[in-house]
Amino acid sequence: MSPFHDLALFASRRAFLGRSFGSLGSLALTHLLTEAARPSQAQARVQAGPLSGPHHRATADAVICLFQHGGPSQMDLFDPKPELRKRDGQPYEGDLEIHFSGQKGNVLASPFTFEKRGNSGLELSELLPHTAGIVDELTLIRSVVTESVDHESALRLIHGGRFQAGDPTWGSWVTYGLGSENQNLPAYVVLTDPGGLPVDGTRNWTSGWLPAVYQGTAFRPGASPVANLANPADVTPAARANQLRLLDRFNREHQDRYPGNTELAARIANFETAARMQAAVPEVLDLSDESEATRRLYGLDNPATAEYGARCILARRLIERGVRFVQLFLAGQPWDTHSNNAESLKGLCARTDQPSAALVLDLKQRGLLDRTLVMWGGEFGRLPISQGKDGRDHNRHANSIWLAGGGFKGGYSHGQTDEFGYKAVDQVVNVHDLHATLLHAMGLDHKQLTYPHDGRPGSLTDIAVTKAEVIRELLV
Amino acid sequence: MPPLPDFDQQIAPLLKNKCVRCHGPAKSDAKLNLALKTGIVRGGKTGKLFVPNDPESSLLWDQVADDAMPKGEEPLSAQEKELLYNWIKAGAPGLPGQVSETPDGDEHWAFQKLNPPLVPEVRDAFRVGTVLDRFLEARLEKQGLHLGPEAAPATLVRRVSLDLTGLPPTLEEIQRFQADAAPNAYEMMVERYLASPHYGERWGKYWLDVAGYADSNGYFNADTDRPLAWRYRDYVIRAINADLPFDQFIREQLAGDELVRYTPDKELTSRELDMLTATHYLRNSADGTDSSDGNEDEVRADKYAVLEGTLQIMGSSLFGMTVQCARCHSHKFEPLTHTDYYSLQAVIYPAFNIEHWAKTRDRQIPAVSPSVWRAAEESVKSFEAELAHRKQEHQEWLKAHPEPSLVVFADDFDAPGATLGPHWSNTAPGDTRPLGIPAVSVDSSMAPAVQISDGKLKVIESGAAGDRAISTRSVIDWTPDHPGGWVQATFELVEGAPYVGYLVALHDYSDEQPDQGGNVLFDGAASGKAQVYLDYPGVDSKQAGPIGQSGYTVGHRYGVRVTNVGEGQFELAQVVDSELEPNTVKVPESALPDGGFGFALCCGRSFVVDQIRIESSFDSAELAGEAAEAQLVRQAEQTAFAARLQEFEKQRPQMPGELAHVADGSELAPEVFLLERGNYKAHGAKVDASPPGFLQEQGGEPAFLPTPADLKSSSGRRLALAEWITRPGSRASALLARVTVNRWWQHHFGTGIAATTDNLGYSGTVPTHPELLEFLAAEFERSGWSQKAVHRLILNSSIYRQSSEASPDSLRLDGDGRLLSRFPIRRLDAEAVRDSLLAVAGEIDRHEGGPYVPTDRGGDGEVFVKQETAGSGRRSVYLQQRRTQVAGLLEVFDAPTLVFNCAARVSTTVPLQSLSLLNSPFVRLRSESFASRLEREEPSDVAARLDRAFLLAWGRPPTTQERQAALLFLQEQGDVYHDQAHATHHAWTDLAQMLFAANPFLYVE
Repeated sequence: MSPFHDLALFASRRAFLGRSFGSLGSLALTHLLTEAARPSQAQARVQAGPLSGPHHRATADAVICLFQHGGPSQMDLFDPKPELRKRDGQPYEGDLEIHFSGQKGNVLASPFTFEKRGNSGLELSELLPHTAGIVDELTLIRSVVTESVDHESALRLIHGGRFQAGDPTWGSWVTYGLGSENQNLPAYVVLTDPGGLPVDGTRNWTSGWLPAVYQGTAFRPGASPVANLANPADVTPAARANQLRLLDRFNREHQDRYPGNTELAARIANFETAARMQAAVPEVLDLSDESEATRRLYGLDNPATAEYGARCILARRLIERGVRFVQLFLAGQPWDTHSNNAESLKGLCARTDQPSAALVLDLKQRGLLDRTLVMWGGEFGRLPISQGKDGRDHNRHANSIWLAGGGFKGGYSHGQTDEFGYKAVDQVVNVHDLHATLLHAMGLDHKQLTYPHDGRPGSLTDIAVTKAEVIRELLV
Repeated sequence: MPPLPDFDQQIAPLLKNKCVRCHGPAKSDAKLNLALKTGIVRGGKTGKLFVPNDPESSLLWDQVADDAMPKGEEPLSAQEKELLYNWIKAGAPGLPGQVSETPDGDEHWAFQKLNPPLVPEVRDAFRVGTVLDRFLEARLEKQGLHLGPEAAPATLVRRVSLDLTGLPPTLEEIQRFQADAAPNAYEMMVERYLASPHYGERWGKYWLDVAGYADSNGYFNADTDRPLAWRYRDYVIRAINADLPFDQFIREQLAGDELVRYTPDKELTSRELDMLTATHYLRNSADGTDSSDGNEDEVRADKYAVLEGTLQIMGSSLFGMTVQCARCHSHKFEPLTHTDYYSLQAVIYPAFNIEHWAKTRDRQIPAVSPSVWRAAEESVKSFEAELAHRKQEHQEWLKAHPEPSLVVFADDFDAPGATLGPHWSNTAPGDTRPLGIPAVSVDSSMAPAVQISDGKLKVIESGAAGDRAISTRSVIDWTPDHPGGWVQATFELVEGAPYVGYLVALHDYSDEQPDQGGNVLFDGAASGKAQVYLDYPGVDSKQAGPIGQSGYTVGHRYGVRVTNVGEGQFELAQVVDSELEPNTVKVPESALPDGGFGFALCCGRSFVVDQIRIESSFDSAELAGEAAEAQLVRQAEQTAFAARLQEFEKQRPQMPGELAHVADGSELAPEVFLLERGNYKAHGAKVDASPPGFLQEQGGEPAFLPTPADLKSSSGRRLALAEWITRPGSRASALLARVTVNRWWQHHFGTGIAATTDNLGYSGTVPTHPELLEFLAAEFERSGWSQKAVHRLILNSSIYRQSSEASPDSLRLDGDGRLLSRFPIRRLDAEAVRDSLLAVAGEIDRHEGGPYVPTDRGGDGEVFVKQETAGSGRRSVYLQQRRTQVAGLLEVFDAPTLVFNCAARVSTTVPLQSLSLLNSPFVRLRSESFASRLEREEPSDVAARLDRAFLLAWGRPPTTQERQAALLFLQEQGDVYHDQAHATHHAWTDLAQMLFAANPFLYVE
């Protein structure tokens, strides 16, 4: 039987859902990958296994997170501030928390114009003409706050809820809670930039103290996206088939002496899974069956958008095949516009605006958006004053992030910042509340999604400290 | 009104009888301990037990009223219920009104003094071999089970070898054990592995995990190198191999510097240097302070993060407890208060003073005693002096034996009344327009100008800009006709400037002619090298790169030699004191037309030169007689000198390395404050250095001993903690012993006696065999804290020697094996997988200690050790332990990525492991080497080769079925590869790989 036979069933997520969504329980088709990653028998006594299913009815089954490293400038993209124009070049009166305190400048207006867009009339910057086209699908939160103005700490906060390194990211938590729906692909896939790793490297998708199986698997650019995916050059398919048969014989004879040992059984099954992965991963990466219209939609015909567009298509293909969590990163931290803010933003938007919007449109056209959560944003925002001549410094008190699909409202803006866009003042959303809400959409109760850590139940939101709560207003 | 129930007389005995078995100190179900008054007040996981005066709203009443509790027991009698009801109704008298949210230390089993249990009786004494066995057997008998039969000898030797050394047994080791008929053959085999240097490499690594050892600083993305951490790694391995008493091991790591009374000028023995190295334990935390930037608050936070990381490592490794919750508030689950945290922080604060922070590179000292270091410095100094002397002598010889040359031009500016005009000009030869505007005044002091002053040439420049120059009136041929021929221009620098510019081939400076070339500028810098510009100045000028290496300093001769190197190319080399320097550039003939030599006046570069000399080589045809002789002598001496110099360089004495340690630096301890809510700016009360209150002894005795009088320039706080934590008979040392033996038990059996090895506190799990844990901890202390003694106790027991195969009873009554009615089968951990692959393939490099073997990250993100890297076959413990760069093979088999430390590893079973065994170049290469090894060692006999293959990889010969399957496979692969040159070798490689991928290799039975 062709290894693609199973995949055909997954070609459309709708078809898949139609097949298995009849009962809620079957959504938690916790697949072999997850199953096998249960702690070994001995450890099972001290560590809970993955959940048997969601805590409540989910509005999203999958996540695509388009992460924007460096801190996109909210007052140039999402949060219009006419007051800045009025006081452009004047000294800012009042206290500001400044990262590079030696380079404090005056009020810096955005050179970009904002317009009301879509039926909802959400205002967006001229830098985002394509996002403007999907504005009615978006929940735009203009009031996200965090607890650090340092990139690494702020990244750990938005990914994993704590500013020290070493805790699991929310992608790991979702994967731990729900597993994957395709045993031939990793449940949590990270698509890195061919230009290099983002700041804080692989920690952006660490599973921390959750078992390693829940960490993101980075698909590397190039021919072998997963380590050791291709057979060794000198082993022909026929030779490999003989090898696997011999291995199976060895293992089964060994297993016969230890009846009931599930770990040994899982390891035997893993060799079959591994062989299927060897076929499934190249298939998902092959974009040749994408239509010309789709390729144009994502900007594959334009050098500025082609690379990011291709990864956005790949994200959709992974979700279609049952991958739970896909995260895209950019190399370094390109949104960190300490100097030459305006010009840098033009280039970054030219690269990301069209593919990001295309992803949402494409998911909608394929009927996938209602069960897929798309998130776009960075670790913090930027200041309303200039840094040096023409830059903007970090700002943890205001950040704009958008969410689409997966049960989030469309054409809805949440929260407000002060007249300068420095501080969120109304409907403030901290990262912990955001996490609680994201998990909620996935059918997971952030209070119940725990794993033993340091002898007590560890969680993403750690409510004893953060008092995190689900923000109902964001959800349909 | 019913009579008021008496708590002590009536209620406490009732609870003790009915509840404490499950809700007591030993087995605190629902985190409830009803054996203690405070426990009753505090309640359990589901909240408070009672609401005073309101039985109906009380959990306790609710549970017993409808007989939900006691679970599986006789319900409370009506009379007992009434008693309880009335007691609650009366407001639960007899209990303390309030208890702190933080539990007391004296309630919890792990925080007590050691209390060695009586060795239990067993029914079937014949089943037990050692005292240890009795604890297990007694527990098993209760369950209707017994210890299982002993495993086969081949299984035992593989089990012990991998367990103690992390390497599979060699053929000799297997044969020696199997052939040994002595009754104590097994015990002797255990002794051999305990004595192996590889024992320390494996068991040292376990401690290094707990101690948070890494070869990088972590914290920030850059994860910079920590170049001296390896000395601590080697210290640990040495200490474990030597069975250094564990209490001393801990004392040295906490306070080695104070133990040896370290001061920078104290002479130290190698053992004392070891103790200084040990303090690196306190530096294992991630530390970003070398590269901190941002504002003051962030830099401060980065420093505190080091203190916090260190405390976390201490809490976890010494107390088996997570302490960081208490950074912001008293611990909710453990008896650790907010003040305790900062009192403990005050112990290490003098060594990590936030206000006087030392970066990591400033915390390094010579790795040898001061006198040895000074002696080494002396010998380096005298070597350098001797080197300088030899070079000087050579220079003098060269001066005395000048290279035969034709002097083309010379000017020493010494003739009485001489002026520059006759020989020098402000135009280039043949050019009518001046060399730059305004033109240089010759024989004038009106800048820009040149003049003779005190018999030297003074170049006077004042302007910021302008490419002005002077030139000789003579035209010089800069391109010798024959290969090997040269021409050079040199001058003595008398007074320097940041830059000293001179030009050759000055010709058509004003660019009136369409041809290119000429006007080659050498811009000599005081900092080193001269930048060469061709066709200077103008837009068509271009850099030809720097030449030479020396900086232009006063008192030396500088210049350039142009040598014909053939094929129309001319090499420009810097000449310094008649030596040619490396770094040259080549230019074509067209760049060097005939023209003048001169100096550049530019940019305020005034300088003074003298003794200008332009020379050229003789054409070989012209060179004859004495000149030829002299040339040969000179060349011979130069060659000989170069050889002598190279030989001498080999004797260059090396400075001994450095070590990274911890020291307070002053006996005055800074004040330390509690931080409100952990906020670095919110100073609370001042705290004293002291150990956690819950482990202190009751009854007034001060926790910390006074600082010894002879301890100079250190606060003595760490020494006090070290002594306190290891004080015999104390609660602290009891906890240390329990935490430690429990961790070791985990390494031997896969699970601790208390499963949460990183947490023996209230929130940890209860031990399955509490008396066994207590017994082992007590034996550990009694043996003088000997780790090897504990290994012997465990490994020589029948528990350890059991077979892994389960009897039907064992499977039925001890399904998860937690009662140890069989030996648990376990996968090799990451290091053992890699090391075993190398060992079986015959490629392991058993070299011990030293700097780490670097890992690399390939373009595809995969982390590995390059095959050609020196030491690529060394054991995994010696590979670079970079936090963000764990070797791929190790990571996929669950090697920890260190953030703080790792007290318990997970062991996962994921498809990526299968992919790595099937397809990774590392495994494939080892398979190939394994096949070659087999062919080498058993060249002809296929059956014997098969036996050897299985014995090496799995520690036993193949079964009949396995042998048949392997033979059939070899035949099949032979067919697949029949048209290839090395079909048989290829087939054996494929077989070897499957022996590695199979469970009998990956698992220890």
